[in-house]
Amino acid sequence: MQRLILKRLGLMVVMLLGLAVITFTVANIAPGDPARLAAGPDASPDMVEKIRVERGFDRALPVRFGLYLGQLAQGDLGTSVYTGRPVAQDIAVFLPATIELVLFSILIAVVLGVPFGVLAAVWQNHLPDHAIRFLSVSGVALPMFWLGLMLQWYLSLELGLFPLGGRLGTFDDVPTTITGMISIDALLVGDLATAGTALMHMVLPATALSFPALAAIIRVNRAEMLEVLGRDYVVNARAQGIGPFRIIAIYALKNAILPTLAMIGLRFGWMLGGTVLVESVFDFPGIGLYAAKAAISSDFEPIMAVTLILGAAFMLTNLLIDLMYALLDPRVRNQI
Amino acid sequence: MTDHPLLDIRDFSLVFDTFDGTYHAIDGVNLSLQPGEALGLVGETGCGKSVLTRAAFGLVPSPPARITGGSVQLQGRELLGLSDRALRQVRGREVAMIFQDPMTYLNPVFRVGTQLVDAIRAQSGGQTKRDEAKAIALDMLEKVQLPNPNRQFAAYPHELSGGMRQRVLIAMALAAKPKLLIADEPTTALDVTIQAQILDLMAELVADMGLTMIMISHDLGVVAQVCSRIAVMYAGKIVEDAPVARIFDAPAHPYTKGLLAALPHPFRRQDRLESIPGTLPDLLHPPAGCLFAARCPHAAPICAKPVPMRRIDDSHRVACTLYDPAREKDRADA
Ligand SMILES: Nc1ncnc2c1ncn2[C@@H]1O[C@H](COP(=O)(O)OP(=O)(O)OP(=O)(O)O)[C@@H](O)[C@H]1O
Ligand code: SF4
Ligand SMILES: [Mg+2]
Repeated sequence: MQRLILKRLGLMVVMLLGLAVITFTVANIAPGDPARLAAGPDASPDMVEKIRVERGFDRALPVRFGLYLGQLAQGDLGTSVYTGRPVAQDIAVFLPATIELVLFSILIAVVLGVPFGVLAAVWQNHLPDHAIRFLSVSGVALPMFWLGLMLQWYLSLELGLFPLGGRLGTFDDVPTTITGMISIDALLVGDLATAGTALMHMVLPATALSFPALAAIIRVNRAEMLEVLGRDYVVNARAQGIGPFRIIAIYALKNAILPTLAMIGLRFGWMLGGTVLVESVFDFPGIGLYAAKAAISSDFEPIMAVTLILGAAFMLTNLLIDLMYALLDPRVRNQI
Repeated sequence: MTDHPLLDIRDFSLVFDTFDGTYHAIDGVNLSLQPGEALGLVGETGCGKSVLTRAAFGLVPSPPARITGGSVQLQGRELLGLSDRALRQVRGREVAMIFQDPMTYLNPVFRVGTQLVDAIRAQSGGQTKRDEAKAIALDMLEKVQLPNPNRQFAAYPHELSGGMRQRVLIAMALAAKPKLLIADEPTTALDVTIQAQILDLMAELVADMGLTMIMISHDLGVVAQVCSRIAVMYAGKIVEDAPVARIFDAPAHPYTKGLLAALPHPFRRQDRLESIPGTLPDLLHPPAGCLFAARCPHAAPICAKPVPMRRIDDSHRVACTLYDPAREKDRADA
């Protein structure tokens, strides 16, 4: 087990390097003069040239990549031209918000998706199945961005049920930062009201973000449950007189959840990517919105940092999923 | 008690509602077992052996299955129409089943012991406590001669060999001390040497526990080892029912004769097993008469009419016009 984890972590470093090469290249092929941007709109041509040499923008791409890696190795993520702050500082502020939002979304997708998948399978071709499949198809068909806008327009602009955007109201006090996730920090200091407000702010963006994942989880879990419920060990369990609830919720589900877990891992990655869109719609100050703004202003170092962090998060999640797989399936456990 | 059958299946019929139409899987089956009897149910693949023995105890999902008539009585109690809960109790306490492939009938993600304890508790309707159930389970594992019961108790199914798993499944099935055991090809998936061991074990347990048993197989040889009577099934019907010796020495139905001819003979060198040419009839549109007619060397016009089961003597029944006095008359008329 430890060996597997070490091996996977090693592999992760290699993959992150690859990711860095690709992002670095793409960001530098994109039009726009980084020296000009760094110098600001009022800078004279001389100033721009000076900055170009100073920051190494005149060197060859591989050399600059080497320099960037050296800088990364020292734990320096660079500086954002847009915010004027060190990228690490920005990320320390924005990343917890995104983690909070994504965790909340995953929670929604799993807590609803798994039981819905089970129900649809148990009631195959009956009303609950049709209703749940309709939901699942909508999740595939509706673009996240559009769904976010619609939710925002109808539920918050028209009906006023939810806040329009942000993490808290303008006049709400932010609780002391412990984890940086407002709802959790508020809970930790016993401030239920603020925790509630923070959750209310997350309902709409999390719904938009979780919808495609919800649809995918339902689909996979339904199919797996149908398959598993037809297996011989289910017949044997029934032959022993074991009741339907135990058979469905324990005997069958523990088998069916394995492929669903893989889907959850995959969808987690999509969600991370989706934060760029959803956070923009809901003006939710997370790393996705930060990345969107950085991309618009060709703010190079934040883009690099966000990409690498999201990549690492995706890889770590999948490692975690694989470990859970091993925990649930003794056959996998023996292989590692 | 011997005059009162333990299991009495009468006129049992079942169809599957499929996309292509109504599939007549079981048609008018009569079968009864005296307490302590061991019956072999044989017939080629797809003839309905599993469906019959599972559906009688509510184990075939409906839809697609639909029981269209008949009755199933266990010790005089009607099972058809019982609630799910009542049927579950019957399955747990009175009827035990073991199946063909021990590799697939144990849940791969739970420990053997967990599954045994769960089954034992379910069999008692939740009355048995966990540690009692564990004691019973270990006791049963001992009884089925599983080496190292304590260790296997904590093992996962994939850590056990096929023979060991079948022993676990037998232990599970028999823990509640049932009256009736349905063994659906319990040795087909095992190596020959293991097969013999499992058959021996089953014979021993059946005798020990005074079980009544239906042993399903397409292998007449296997059935002859453990059973006293054989029922031959063809295309959803019982076509012959007689003591083992009768089936081997004086088979009455042409299909039974065909099955016997397909057995490798111990004293004769055979280059090729004789098998019965042709396949099962289309049970979406079953003919009214004998279902074997298309493959039967003795088929006659009278075989196109419904062929009832008739008694040759007290212990021997057959569904074939060869034993119908009307057949000679029919031929004379023609
Ligand atoms: N769920 C189902 N839907 C439709 N047809 C079915 C279903 N289950 C079984 N059948 C059909 O019922 C018939 C009897 O099947 P059954 O499994 O009882 O055969 P069997 O005699 O046990 O064969 P084997 O020796 O291969 O186990 C088969 O032709 C099968 O195709
Ligand atoms: S009834 Fe006719 S067709 Fe059927 S087995 Fe007997 S002789 Fe053959
Ligand atoms: Mg079968």
